[in-house]
Amino acid sequence: MRPQALIAEITHRCPLHCVYCSNPLAMRPRGEEMPAGSWEHLFREAAELGVLHLHLTGGEPALRPDLEELVRAGRAANLYVNLITSGIGVSEQRMDALIEAGLDHLQLSFQDAQEAPANEYAGARAHARKLALAEVVRGRQVGFTMNAVVHRQNLDRLEGIIAMAEQLGVDRLEIANVQYYGWALENRDRMMPTRRQMEACVESVRNHQERLKGRLRIDFVPPDYYARYPKACMGGWGRSLMVVDPAGWVLPCHAARVIPDLAFENAQSRQLRAIWEESSAFQRFRGEEWMPEPCRSCDRRHEDFGGCRCQAMLLTGNASATDPVCSLAPDRGLVDAVVERVNAAPADTPGWVYRIDPV
Amino acid sequence: MTSASIPRLARGCRLREDADQGWVLLIPEGVLRLSGPGPHILRRCDGSRTFGEIVTELAQEFNDAETARVEAETNAFLNRLIERRIVVVE
Repeated sequence: MRPQALIAEITHRCPLHCVYCSNPLAMRPRGEEMPAGSWEHLFREAAELGVLHLHLTGGEPALRPDLEELVRAGRAANLYVNLITSGIGVSEQRMDALIEAGLDHLQLSFQDAQEAPANEYAGARAHARKLALAEVVRGRQVGFTMNAVVHRQNLDRLEGIIAMAEQLGVDRLEIANVQYYGWALENRDRMMPTRRQMEACVESVRNHQERLKGRLRIDFVPPDYYARYPKACMGGWGRSLMVVDPAGWVLPCHAARVIPDLAFENAQSRQLRAIWEESSAFQRFRGEEWMPEPCRSCDRRHEDFGGCRCQAMLLTGNASATDPVCSLAPDRGLVDAVVERVNAAPADTPGWVYRIDPV
Repeated sequence: MTSASIPRLARGCRLREDADQGWVLLIPEGVLRLSGPGPHILRRCDGSRTFGEIVTELAQEFNDAETARVEAETNAFLNRLIERRIVVVE
């Protein structure tokens, strides 16, 4: 078993304060960030281990002045280099420098098709600057994905979001329903779509996928609280992905620190291959040994690997439980209660909990 | 696709060969592992050759295989990638 992708959180700092940020609540401060040389060493180790994709993310990766150097190092290690960015801190000149350094692909986030709500969810006046960057990327030789996170507050404007992706000339649009970890979990009752919205968006996405085939690829992440079966989170624990946080800690998933009894290891003190193959955090939920019933004897266990360990932890208090979004899970009632509550109540509960920056 | 069409890999898609993993097509958020004629076709989708030229070269490479068959198979292969926006046609 070898990893296919390395997700490198090169900083947790960010000029945005998105209400659904996937960073952990406890973030790494600037003083703990690994220098470029350590990242470069790590990229080479990852490539030797069989990794093909490098996702440079954050926080906002463009806050690091050595981002170009990191892109160049990723390409030098023969990796496919993707930059996941809010666009803030990427000027036209810098975009050219990143492409010159070998950037394969840019994923630019948008919060909405309309400026006022977009800036509200981001907690920053970012929307106009994102649009400006999209105009720069339009004519450049770099793959271009627009990522739009959708939720109860903006799903009624989904048509506008898709139209915007077409106008901006992106190659690919990722429409991702909020996943409820970290900051998003704090805002869950404001963000969880209603059943009506969920059904409408699934239908709409399907129609646009067909209409835009060959011109614009649309990938869709459904809201898993409404699903019958859980998602194959991270493609299965310790199967194809690893995340390295700004300080070099190697995790099976962005959110893995919510599981209290996992012992993580640091890429600066141990070889990446040894961490991947042997560390107890990666071994903990590999394979099927850890699975409880109904997963253990379920035909779907090779498809969804029992769902998401972090979601099991956050909702049931037990990281080894069947993901409670599964209709077969003993704890499905916890999810049903949330779904019932949000469908019964108006979404205008008190204000957002905004993501704060690491201190 | 007509014989004058020029298929090429879309931006953000890259063909890679190495001793360890063979031919892989790197695309945003994924990897396609290629075998059979796939790499031979895609190596030629570089923006300089027409579909007709690609078919002619492939037929020669595969010991003068029947051109009509090579054309049909290449067309089907590329159309699947065009639908996924991995290949674009000029």
